[in-house]
Amino acid sequence: MDSVIEVKNLCRKFGKFTAVNNINFNIKKGEILGFLGPNGAGKTTTIKMITGLLKISSGNVFIKGMDAVKERKKVKTITGYMSQKFSLYPTLTGLENITFFGGISGLSKAEILRKIEEIKTEIPESNLKMKIGDMPPGIKQQIALFVCLLNDPELIFLDEPTSGVDPENRRKFWEEIYRLKVRGKTLLVSTHNLDEAEYADRIIIIHKGDIILQGEPEYLKNSHNVKNIELLFKEAIENYDKT
Amino acid sequence: MLKVKNISKQFNSIEAVKSVSFELQKSSITILAGADGAGKSTIFKIIVGLIKRDTGEIFINAEAVKPDFSNLNKVTGYMPEKFSLYPDLSVEENMNFFADIYGVEKSRRENLKSRLLEKTGMAQFRKRRAGALSGGMKQKLALSTILLSSPQLIILDEPTTGVDPLSRIEFFSIIEDLKNEGKTIIISTPYMEEAEKGDFVIFLKEGKILKNNNMLRLKQEFPAKIYKILPEKNIFDTLQEIKKNSVLKNSIFIRGKYLVFIEEDGMSFPEDIPIRNMSQVEPGLEDIFIYYERQENRNG
Repeated sequence: MDSVIEVKNLCRKFGKFTAVNNINFNIKKGEILGFLGPNGAGKTTTIKMITGLLKISSGNVFIKGMDAVKERKKVKTITGYMSQKFSLYPTLTGLENITFFGGISGLSKAEILRKIEEIKTEIPESNLKMKIGDMPPGIKQQIALFVCLLNDPELIFLDEPTSGVDPENRRKFWEEIYRLKVRGKTLLVSTHNLDEAEYADRIIIIHKGDIILQGEPEYLKNSHNVKNIELLFKEAIENYDKT
Repeated sequence: MLKVKNISKQFNSIEAVKSVSFELQKSSITILAGADGAGKSTIFKIIVGLIKRDTGEIFINAEAVKPDFSNLNKVTGYMPEKFSLYPDLSVEENMNFFADIYGVEKSRRENLKSRLLEKTGMAQFRKRRAGALSGGMKQKLALSTILLSSPQLIILDEPTTGVDPLSRIEFFSIIEDLKNEGKTIIISTPYMEEAEKGDFVIFLKEGKILKNNNMLRLKQEFPAKIYKILPEKNIFDTLQEIKKNSVLKNSIFIRGKYLVFIEEDGMSFPEDIPIRNMSQVEPGLEDIFIYYERQENRNG
């Protein structure tokens, strides 16, 4: 069995409101899954349940066969998370951020120094010594990804990873993502940028707590006879709301 | 309708806007597309008079904008990136507040307010506090407030950043209606593909205009060809293999299952790379942006 994430009959209720309504999906090792949906659709709630940040009302999540609730601590050690707008400290430099997050991830001093040497081969030292707040978005994003990978996670969650980044750097970023995929990492990318969804191996569209569409982006576009994911998205939501 | 001529702005050592010129035609949508820090907001703030320009001129309906911006303010609606709404006031109270500021006469206020809230789909939320609205609804309320002044020119700074796709689709359909009513609209965005929604597109990079064109012509006149290629072997290894050939290094990208190749004059896909199929596709706006960005870099 090569599913790294298995979501089974997952539900989350807040009082009478059902945020996530009995959803099922798997993510395979080395797969890039694009997670799409309007605000309030249940995307974040689902991700929070998968990562153990939110209690599950019913159903199960298994990460590499481990129950995500019962073995939360273990699951945490193999997960990396890069949040929207890259939650780095703006008043610290790039190097200081790496040192700080390295410490949090439980790396030793020697390991942190080794990591710093590693990133210096990709980003010039003068840039790394800049405060995060003064950096161009492309470099900030590169550092955010680096920080997310400090503990060499097998499972990586990316939330709006390229917002505000210029096209050239965005493509470089995606090449890095494919490099991770080739190394066997499993990635879940949550995004509002529907154009970006085409980079994923498979997409899931979630709306009002239900999975309303899933499949390979190219196949879905062809089978629905639409030229882009935005039209696909619009059609799926309209059809759902009609019924 | 609006003419911007050679405007420049320097902040200390940073040239934020470098001799930017463009014109907006009446009843059209123009998209100003560029990454964070490209100078989009600075250009807008210069136009509405929030930042003083170092050089250049601005004309509105062929009349030079006076230093006090009096003739501009009357016809312009400007929505900044962080909408200025009062979170503790309801939707209706926010509308009333802005109607007061814009001096909308009491006699036509109710009618106008209802019509705008109806248009933006906010009528059912009249009593809700602005702070309790979702991002997409805040955006629609902010748009409704600026429409109270019945502006001819509407300037929207990144209205769709961080807004979910469904709200974005709805938002652009409202914008389309406004255009059909004769409004002139300019919208900035960091998403290149969103420029597709405009009649005109201006690509901005580091304070300079890379390209400014009508959307149809931009695509028709695009000199490179874009191919979608499905390689025989693993896509990532294939890309690394191709990248050894320095000429093509920056012209090939992975996009899902496919390689995307931007073919310029004198380039061709290496024959020794086994492929399953290759087909020409219509260029995306991001491909077009990258092409002109490269050209700009080459020309120094």
